[in-house]
Formats: sequence, C-alpha cells, structure tokens
Amino acid sequence: MSEIEFLTFTSEELLVEQNIINLQTVFRDIPRWSSLNALIYISRLREEYSVIISSRQLSESVTLNDIYQIILASK
Amino acid sequence: MAISKVTGPTIKGIVSLVPDGIEDNLTDPYLSYLDQEALVNATGIRFRRKVSCTDLSIKVLFEKGIQRLLNELNWDVKSIDVLICVTQTAKVAIPSIACQLHGDMGFSKSVIAYDINSGCSGFVYGLHTVSHLLSSIDKPNSRALLCCGDISSSITNPEDLSVRPIFSDAGSVTAIEFNIEDRNTSFFNLETIGEGQKAIYTEKTEHTNWMKLDGIDVFNYSASFVPKNITHLLEHTNFSITEIDWFVFHQANKLINETIRKALVIDIKKVPSSLYDYGNTASASIPLTITTELSSKLKSGWVLLSGFGVGFSIATALVKLDAVKVCIPVVTDL
Repeated sequence: MSEIEFLTFTSEELLVEQNIINLQTVFRDIPRWSSLNALIYISRLREEYSVIISSRQLSESVTLNDIYQIILASK
Repeated sequence: MAISKVTGPTIKGIVSLVPDGIEDNLTDPYLSYLDQEALVNATGIRFRRKVSCTDLSIKVLFEKGIQRLLNELNWDVKSIDVLICVTQTAKVAIPSIACQLHGDMGFSKSVIAYDINSGCSGFVYGLHTVSHLLSSIDKPNSRALLCCGDISSSITNPEDLSVRPIFSDAGSVTAIEFNIEDRNTSFFNLETIGEGQKAIYTEKTEHTNWMKLDGIDVFNYSASFVPKNITHLLEHTNFSITEIDWFVFHQANKLINETIRKALVIDIKKVPSSLYDYGNTASASIPLTITTELSSKLKSGWVLLSGFGVGFSIATALVKLDAVKVCIPVVTDL
C-alpha cells in the first residue's frame, strides 16, 4: 500500500478532506475520530487489506504514520 | 480442539423473554445526531430492552420462562431431570440460581441443578453440557431445562458508550428431551482463547462493578477465530456451508456478524438477525433470534449455532431443530 493509497483510504473512512491530513497528522485530532469510528476503521483495514491492528497497537499509536508503519510491517 | 458429538438429545421448545422497557439508540442523549446514525448503521442495533429496576434478578425471567414453556409443552415440573442456568449477572453468588429455582418451583429431588458462568458463548456451552448430561442419565426420555440470559443493564455504566448502546436485557428457557430412538446427533466445537480475557471483563470498585469492553479486541478475536472454529466443525462432520439451512450467530453487533458471514461466504438469507430490535442479549441472543426470526420457518434440516465473546470463548453446535414444538418470544412487564 502506497502512502497516497493509505491517505485516500483514511480520508474516505474517517470522512475528512484528504488535503488536510498527512502522515504526521495526529489521528485522534481528526474530528470524526471516536471509539466507534476507530472500530469501523480497523474493520475496514482488515476487510480491504487483510491487516490486523490490535487495540494495544492502536493505543500506542499517535500519528497516521504509526498506523501506516504497522500496515507496512504486516506485509 | 474439543469437538464432540452426542446422539439422542433434541430441542423440543424455546421461550425467550424480554422486558417491555425499550431504549432507542437514535435518541441517545449522550450521542450527537450524526453519531446516533453512525452507531445504528455500524452495530445494526437500534432498540434495546431494559428492565425497569436493575436490582431485578435474572431468576425472575427464568421462572416466568419455565412456567410458560412447561405449560406450552404440557410437561410436569416433576418430569425434569436436569436444570442448568447460564448467566453472568446473578444477584448472589450463593446459592446458584438453578438451586433457587429448584426450591421455588417444585422440581423433583433427583434433579441435577447448577449454574454455568458464561456470556455470549453460553447458550451453546449450556446446550453441550445439557446434551451430555442427558445422555448419561440411565432413564428413557430424560428431560432438561436450559435457562440462559443476563440483566446486562445491572453491570452497565450509563456513560460508557462502548457498552451501553450494545447490550440489552433478556432471558430464555430451552427444553431438551433425550430419546435414543430419534437418532438425532448434535455436533459441537468448543474453544477457549484465554489471552483474550481482557476483551470483555467487569471492573469492581467500591460502589460499582461495571462491564468493560474493548471493541477492537472483541472484533479481532471474533473475526480471526470464529470462522476457523465453524470451518473446522463443518470439515470434521463432512458438511458444506450450502447444506446448512440456518446459521444462528450470537448477536454481537452487525460489524462483527457480517465479517464472520462474509468470511464463510454464507447467503445473508440464511443468517437471521435480531440485532435491530433487541441488541446484544449475551447468552440469550441465539434462542431469542430463533424465537423472533425463525419460529414459523423451522422445518426439517440442519441449523448451525455459534456463540462467541467474553472469555474469549467460542462455541459452535450443529443441530437439527425440526422437533421444536414451542417457539415463543414473550414480552414481559418487568
């Protein structure tokens, strides 16, 4: 998954304009981020890319890049 | 894996019970309008049932269910040999709810009666226990009552938005009779993944004992292990997905249940859901779904029942439900 593909996916799933997020974005600052939307986001990553992100991995992540690195490491 | 089979026990009747109090996730005061809609879309849960007083014991629902089921089946309470109650919200630890019901309802002294502490996988665990107990009793046509359910609102923090919009109060009673001449065989695959013990748990403080739920871990454990558990049982019994008439899953939430259904490539028409109207009713969810969604549709054929959740525990059964004479959902004033 390329950076662009990941940011496009994230903007679509979290209903945020792609031009206002980047890999340094703190994802918990995204307005639509909530425990429910986090669950939906994780489930969609699994469905589309077969990536499994645990609750602990997510809680230890801060930026979108942290999530992106988990995805890259799982491939 | 603990795959087992037992020949003889057959489900004869199911009564599910819900309180008449209804809460609507689309008018949840803790959520914005957008979040209310997102919640219902993702979880599939709009309405939940709640008892008027959270001090109410699940025993009251079980007692009402037993009375109704025995009456509908025309079974004498003295004809019951096994009484098992599955719950995680007993008001007192001692004595068991099964023994309380035994003392209050005139069961025979020779009854095997005890409780099982189990949640979302509890109906299938209870069915497994009851089926094997019945097959061990040296008597023709031995009978069992399996009571499952929880007053989940009694362990729910009203401000916890991971828990409150999901869980709902309900109970169920299932009647099972052993008849070796029926030659009905049920198959089970029960598993435990204890590393997931903190996915759902209760946290006791001085004044509260609230249920805590890690939605992402519950999703990951369910999506990773439930399809494998079901596939293993089907492979072991030489069944294909298309040979099963109905798949009745524990009603966790739409996100989890749809992920499991898609992973197994099951036709959605074969997967009844009671989530929209009743939410997640823990160990009552499978019998509740059978009574509310399948009561007029059960014909000869095989039904797969799969419960999964708190533990982390997974239990799947492959059974025939063509001898069910009573299948009734009851709304009760509680």
